[in-house]
Amino acid sequence: MIEAKGVEVHFGQRVVLRGVDLEVAEGEWVALVGRNGCGKTTLLRVLAGLRRATGSVHIGGTPLESLSRREIARRVAVLPQAMPAVPALTVRQLVRQGRYAVRGPLGMLGGGEDAAVRNALRVTGTDAYADAQVDRLSGGERQRVRLALALAQAAPVLLLDEPTTYLDVRHQLEVLELVERLRGELGLTVVTVLHDLAQAARYADRVVALREGVIHADGRAADVVDTALLSDVFGVRGRVWRDEVTGRPLCVYDSVE
Amino acid sequence: MRWLVLAAGLVAAGFVVSGLVPGEQVDERIVLELRLPRVLVGLGAGACLGIAGAVMQAVLRNPLAAPEATGVGSGAVLGAVVVTVFGGAATSPVGVIATAVLGGVVGGGVLWVIAARAGSDPVRLAVVGVLVSAVLAGLTLVLLTARPQLAGSMTRWLVGSLNGRTWEHWAALWPCLLAVAVAAVLLAPVLEVLAVDDDHARVVGLAVGPWRSAVLLLAVMATAAAVATTGALAFVGLLAPHAARSWVGADPRVAVPVSAVFGAGTVTAADSLAQAVPGVPTGAVTALLGACVLVMVARRTSGGVA
Repeated sequence: MIEAKGVEVHFGQRVVLRGVDLEVAEGEWVALVGRNGCGKTTLLRVLAGLRRATGSVHIGGTPLESLSRREIARRVAVLPQAMPAVPALTVRQLVRQGRYAVRGPLGMLGGGEDAAVRNALRVTGTDAYADAQVDRLSGGERQRVRLALALAQAAPVLLLDEPTTYLDVRHQLEVLELVERLRGELGLTVVTVLHDLAQAARYADRVVALREGVIHADGRAADVVDTALLSDVFGVRGRVWRDEVTGRPLCVYDSVE
Repeated sequence: MRWLVLAAGLVAAGFVVSGLVPGEQVDERIVLELRLPRVLVGLGAGACLGIAGAVMQAVLRNPLAAPEATGVGSGAVLGAVVVTVFGGAATSPVGVIATAVLGGVVGGGVLWVIAARAGSDPVRLAVVGVLVSAVLAGLTLVLLTARPQLAGSMTRWLVGSLNGRTWEHWAALWPCLLAVAVAAVLLAPVLEVLAVDDDHARVVGLAVGPWRSAVLLLAVMATAAAVATTGALAFVGLLAPHAARSWVGADPRVAVPVSAVFGAGTVTAADSLAQAVPGVPTGAVTALLGACVLVMVARRTSGGVA
């Protein structure tokens, strides 16, 4: 579904990504992990067409640069890392904007909401405060609104940059379980940047670890997540063992290396 | 603030009614030839400024953006002054509008070139806009000083006045107003998305560069149409969108038309006040009103409510 080859990104002199190859199959969930500044957010933005890069990115077999923004938005929904201060809009009004790619500027004239918007509000539980102003919500509520906005696009690819930030444990699990459920129901292809390695290992089919702009490890969580990864990628000493219930790796961080 | 605007609207309505219903001593011809076109031009120019301000504040994501703070207003003034100085008194209102649009595009374009290189960050855009405005206003003054015999009649562009506005001006203004209003309604969904964030706009499928240019061009045309007919009526483009947003919220489908109505009401009300005090131009009254609003906005912003 997603095929990136030889992706390179430079910020001035600094090389952020060097020759990254990443393939994500349809219906697969890939978690990008790594230290701050390792290039995982940049890689996600390249996949979303939000950042130019050398190399090539194909979505569903089509090169990204041959698609218009609307065409990209019909294929790829994104939850970006930065949360903009939203002007005086209600939840409903903001989530409705997710339909722009499908309905077009003239189709959006009348306002109004279609089934995709109602569905996005319902599954994220944001319909409870759909008429509240977005900037008056708590961080957790706002994060769910942003997820609803991404879901309203009804795109087959979902790119989430740290979707669990700002959330308490329960809301983190709610978001991840929701993504898991929608992936099962709709066959979504999901790429997430996640800070919590155990969460990445628990939910994603594949863990891709980046270090200094290079893919350091790429594989099933059980194969990839070990003490060497903690040391090489995150620079911490820790312990990793297999959870008997899920069969996925669990880890504990002991100290900074 | 909404009460201020409402009061202004009521005063305006009162003026229009009292002026248009012929009393015993008011000649029907005075109403038809002088008062009616003056009221219409005031309404039209105010509506144009209301639209321009609302569009600019949304797309630049800056509550202090307005025609006079982006180089567009002073560019349009410069255009109007240039054509009047070199074209003489024979220049038609349509010609003045055309050159004002040109001046506005140049003013806004200069801002855009400088600010785009700086990354088109809204805050930087506003700062550069004030600088560009100052330079263009300086050029206008140089032009007026070079032709002192015209300076008196040119002052109207700098301050803004409805004196001597006739059917000719209305005929030039209303097609512009109509075009701008229709375009603003059609572009409301684009404006709504652009008002949030560039990344957000791209994610939901909007090509930010071309759409932003189109929307800003709309604001330039609205500004130029108003400036070319009445001169620079200060602060209307700043005041009207604020009042509209505090009243109906940020959805541009509603906020832009309401801002147009508030702009129209503000100019007509200011003009009726200006007429009550002989010698005071309408622009001076709107500037005073606007200064009060600016202080209120600044107080609210520093209070953390913004």
